[in-house]
Amino acid sequence: MTDRPAIEIDRLDVTFAAKGRAVRAVQGVSLAVARRESFGLVGESGSGKSTILRAICGLAPVSGGAIRLGGDPLPARRGKDFSTRVQMVFQDPYASLHPRHTIDRTLSEPLAIHGIGDTDARVVRALQDVGLPAAFRFRYPHQLSGGQRQRVAIARALMLNPQILLLDEPTSALDASVQAEVLNLLTRLREERGLTFLMVSHDLAVIDHMCDRILVMQHGRAVEEIAHADLAAGRMQTDYARSLFAASADRMLS
Amino acid sequence: MTALTDWLTDPDPKSRAQARLGQAWLSWLRLRRNPLAMTGLVIVVALLVLAAFAPVFATHDPIAQNLGQRLLPPGTPGHWLGTDDFGRDIWSRIVHGARITLYIVALVALTAPVLGLVIGTVAGYAGGWVDTVLMRITDIFMAFPRLILALALVAVLGPGIFNAVLAIALTAWPPYARVARAETLTVRSSDYIAAVRLQGAGAARIVWGHVMPMCLPSVIIRVTLDMAGVILIAAGLGFLGLGAQPPLPEWGLMISSGRKFLFDQWWVATMPGLAIFIVSLGFNLLGDGLRDVLDPRSAGR
Amino acid sequence: MSLLTVENLRVTFDTETGPVQAVRGVSFSLGRERLGIVGESGSGKTMTGRSVLRLIRPPGRIEADRMEFDGQDLMRIPETGMRALRGRRIAMVMQDPKFSLNPVMRVGEQLTEGLRRRDRLGRAEAVRKALAALEAVQIRDPERVMQAYPHELSGGMGQRVMIAMMLIPEPDLLIADEPTSALDVTVQAEVLQILDTLVRDRGMGLIFVSHDLRLVARFCDRVLVMYRGRIVEELPARELMAARHPYTRGLLNCLPRIGGARGPLPVLDRSGDWADD
Repeated sequence: MTDRPAIEIDRLDVTFAAKGRAVRAVQGVSLAVARRESFGLVGESGSGKSTILRAICGLAPVSGGAIRLGGDPLPARRGKDFSTRVQMVFQDPYASLHPRHTIDRTLSEPLAIHGIGDTDARVVRALQDVGLPAAFRFRYPHQLSGGQRQRVAIARALMLNPQILLLDEPTSALDASVQAEVLNLLTRLREERGLTFLMVSHDLAVIDHMCDRILVMQHGRAVEEIAHADLAAGRMQTDYARSLFAASADRMLS
Repeated sequence: MTALTDWLTDPDPKSRAQARLGQAWLSWLRLRRNPLAMTGLVIVVALLVLAAFAPVFATHDPIAQNLGQRLLPPGTPGHWLGTDDFGRDIWSRIVHGARITLYIVALVALTAPVLGLVIGTVAGYAGGWVDTVLMRITDIFMAFPRLILALALVAVLGPGIFNAVLAIALTAWPPYARVARAETLTVRSSDYIAAVRLQGAGAARIVWGHVMPMCLPSVIIRVTLDMAGVILIAAGLGFLGLGAQPPLPEWGLMISSGRKFLFDQWWVATMPGLAIFIVSLGFNLLGDGLRDVLDPRSAGR
Repeated sequence: MSLLTVENLRVTFDTETGPVQAVRGVSFSLGRERLGIVGESGSGKTMTGRSVLRLIRPPGRIEADRMEFDGQDLMRIPETGMRALRGRRIAMVMQDPKFSLNPVMRVGEQLTEGLRRRDRLGRAEAVRKALAALEAVQIRDPERVMQAYPHELSGGMGQRVMIAMMLIPEPDLLIADEPTSALDVTVQAEVLQILDTLVRDRGMGLIFVSHDLRLVARFCDRVLVMYRGRIVEELPARELMAARHPYTRGLLNCLPRIGGARGPLPVLDRSGDWADD
């Protein structure tokens, strides 16, 4: 059981119907993420990297291939069981929190859905875990900064104690100083809870800092899988991966 | 007072209620900066006070006839707005008529928007055939001119205030369904809905707890803006003899009875007409102001 | 001679909970050079750029001891005079072309509209100029782009169209507010290259507003670092990576680097004197 990969994606196809035309956002992508591993998906906009995360969550139309969690195929309707295993943190912290719900409501909602009691203590502890003061509990999202909102979104994703966290550009909407704080928080939480990360980013430096292995994507296809050590050393096989690397030259350790 | 405002503007509320009241307080501050909206609010509050204490404000019994004093002009001592063809005091009738107007407005405001909101959000969130069926029903109701449909309903149900309200409510919900559905369509694809779906929430919880709060402001704005129309339709039904029945002091009915003397005793029809005009204006101004305060797009700032 | 002089610029927003100062006393002058303004969100960098065009809506207020553009006092000329300046002498490129182009007008119409209306050019002449402008931003098939609607263009293409549109009246000063943040890294480089060539060839002044220190260091001549409405440091762009100010240093240090250590990233320490009001 333990040697089964946490996430296994096998020749995944995602096809959107847009204006009567079929748009193949993801074409035949396969990957496997081991337990407690941190796996990165890199690519430019339109490469299909975020679509893969959404497909895992059942938020994108899968037209072929298979997705398995810990060896089990996913049911067509992701039920409550799925939500206790996988959660997602979205890119835009301004859009991912309900604007008319207090932080308290946002964090206690998953508990209410799953009929978990002891709400007050759990919400306060969740806020502490992501480094927010308990006094923020009854604030509304617009009373928080971008970084604080993203912390709330991370706290919400962890309310149900999932083993897998899908991270969709979790820091690209944040300032550099806040990005560092959020990345540190994610790293700490992963160590403390033994989480598995599947992380999407367009920033090679962020991916390099966070991930053990990365998959480079372009136009919906997998281009190249690179181990962390090879990325830093610039050992790529394909031209596209090399051009991405070259465009990030100012993010290198000088 | 300062202790209370401090409590309301506390950036770190201690409870849900405090958080909610604090938001309401900020909305109130924003509304207060808009003089036109405040004018509207004053008119609407005045209507509420007038209706609540009608016997106090009224100088005469609104239905007591006094044929010796019929058709007195405004400014007559004891009847400052004049009297009608049965010698009834017009001011007292308008004051008591405010109760009827308010009754109609309140009943319509409680029924039509709720129905529209439920139909619109369910159609918008469910999509597919549910959406198609619900929205075609909405289209059918919208295809009839409102007054004509109300007329037909009253003709079937029989005249009276309650039936008039029912008729207005049944013809008023489709626009709310439309507004709610449009709002739902933008909300349902947002990340915060995706997040709560990922947590395993069912459709009912999402529609009730997450989609409806986002649609509510636009519907509330629409309701206040529509109130003028509702008052006019109620008055229209009264005018046609299909709403409130004589001798009730309903404003439309009063205009209708004053029609016969429009050229010689203009005040009989004009005074209730002015009342309708002022109250409609009040609701419209308030609705416009609420749009600035409640619009979810401005809440983030 | 300096093109733009700003002294003690303040932008204040009157909100329900009292006045909020977004810019508190910013002074700088600009010649025909590339000036970068960097800072985090809320630092007032965007507001500073917009103030030059007096594009702050109520409840915001602009105050300044002096704000002069090419000998004209920007604080005193009436709104009609401002309108003549905007676009023609001072142009602005925003972050996202999606929100700056009219979605129901073809690109060609939008490009020629100003030429025909403002400069009273004939149709053929306006089209010729628009095509030339698109070529100047290295769009390969300008005829096709002229016929396209904004949603049919990619992000990089849309941003090039925006730049072309801003450059048609040949302004003296271009304010670019995060012009490449919505673009992919590879496209970003191309758009910057185009901007650079245009600024150099036409001798324009450029105010480049960005949150990205590395980008500004590469692209600009001089940099202002802003924090909470104030300029904390002003230095030549070449020396940005060796900045002394603790805030600038903190911003540089907290960036992850490819091949860097895996440990926690250094975070910005906001406890210094500079962080106080």
